[in-house]
Amino acid sequence: MNSTLIAILLILVAPFVGGLLYGFERIVKARMQRRIGPPLLQPFYDFIKLADKRKMVVHSAHAFLGIMHFFSLWFALAVLLLGGDLILVIFLHLLSSALLILAAYSTRSIFSHLGANRMAISILAYEPVLIIIAVSIYILTGSFDAGAAFSSEQPLLYKMPLAFIALLLVLPIKMKKSPFDVAEAHQEITGGAELEFSGIFFEALYTAKWLDYVFCYTLVFLFAGSNILLGIALMAFTFLYLNALDNSSARVNYKQMLRFSLGVSFSLAFINLLINSLS
Amino acid sequence: MNLSAYRKKSPWILHYNAGGCNGCDIVILACLGPKYDIERFGMINTGNPKQSDILLVTGPVTKRSRERLVEIYGQMPEPKVVIACGACASTGGVFRGMYNCEGGVDQFIPVDVYVCGCGTRPEQIIDGVVQALAILEAKTKEMETSVQLNKAAIPEGEQLNRRHIAAEIEMPVMI
Repeated sequence: MNSTLIAILLILVAPFVGGLLYGFERIVKARMQRRIGPPLLQPFYDFIKLADKRKMVVHSAHAFLGIMHFFSLWFALAVLLLGGDLILVIFLHLLSSALLILAAYSTRSIFSHLGANRMAISILAYEPVLIIIAVSIYILTGSFDAGAAFSSEQPLLYKMPLAFIALLLVLPIKMKKSPFDVAEAHQEITGGAELEFSGIFFEALYTAKWLDYVFCYTLVFLFAGSNILLGIALMAFTFLYLNALDNSSARVNYKQMLRFSLGVSFSLAFINLLINSLS
Repeated sequence: MNLSAYRKKSPWILHYNAGGCNGCDIVILACLGPKYDIERFGMINTGNPKQSDILLVTGPVTKRSRERLVEIYGQMPEPKVVIACGACASTGGVFRGMYNCEGGVDQFIPVDVYVCGCGTRPEQIIDGVVQALAILEAKTKEMETSVQLNKAAIPEGEQLNRRHIAAEIEMPVMI
């Protein structure tokens, strides 16, 4: 009962936590480049400013799909935090991405279409790995529920270290960070799928990005089981690793990304699955 | 709650080179680097007109780039401010009167702040942006259109005359 209450509270504050996380990340990234960086509350300033812009809509379905992207992502996060079915969580996340892809395809902008294409390819790159990880968790805990993973006595990390490495390799794709940020690629296709959103409708996507951060770090936390200290350590490590990688690497093209993800990350996760199912 | 106070806390910059020598562009990028670090004011170089507040234009407007300039300006949602960066963007600079150039940016879109210099210095650009923020805060969400859209179309084959198409501007902020 108590844990459910904590989960509901976490779900409600998730956008704020994600915003703080994003602000902190911008500071850390700036410090890594020997800059001072923006204030911690910068994402919220951006949020308020975007609400104050004049509304420009490409067409109503486009704006609606963007807002639905935010809500479906929040729903996926809620299911994950409440300890729901992992396969369901992964497919709900897929649904939210699919809504954004549909929105991007519904405009006439070439950059938007390119971004949608690349986003679909990114999903192809990270989705199989996540599903294999979910199956590994099923074999270890006997249940697809995230709740079983959260409450397992022994941290899952000790049983499936290769799957954790695979997760670390696909997280940059999911969070659109270098070297796997082809879907967003700000200097190349100026944001891709989010290109045509503006003002208060871009806000939905901007906040969805914060939620995605919370989602990804919760996936990392899953590996620590009931050991909260280990979970925090894992999240801190992942945070530093992602930012260091983002700052130090150049973008690869989508073919290299797909080859690496399906070749290396998927193999690692699959070997881990084989070891788990045989032992 | 007064939201307009937050405009100057997160100005997102769109940078457009209307046909210059790339000198001012490099200076703008230097502003983003470790020494000047304008991200500490919350500024991001977005590259997307639909999500930006400040349009930084460099270079004289060439005949190829004038439609793009007006188009980009039209795609930015209000409130928005335009900064003409450098001598070329302000008046045409050394390119003024050349057959392929139209002269300053203010012939096509209303300019709020002019930053002089060839090339501009990073400190001047930052100062110009800070002055632009004060203008941005006072602006409303009223539609702003380009100068050219208010004028009659120029006949095909006619040479553009600067005196005929120049915008009526109030006293600009000079730095």
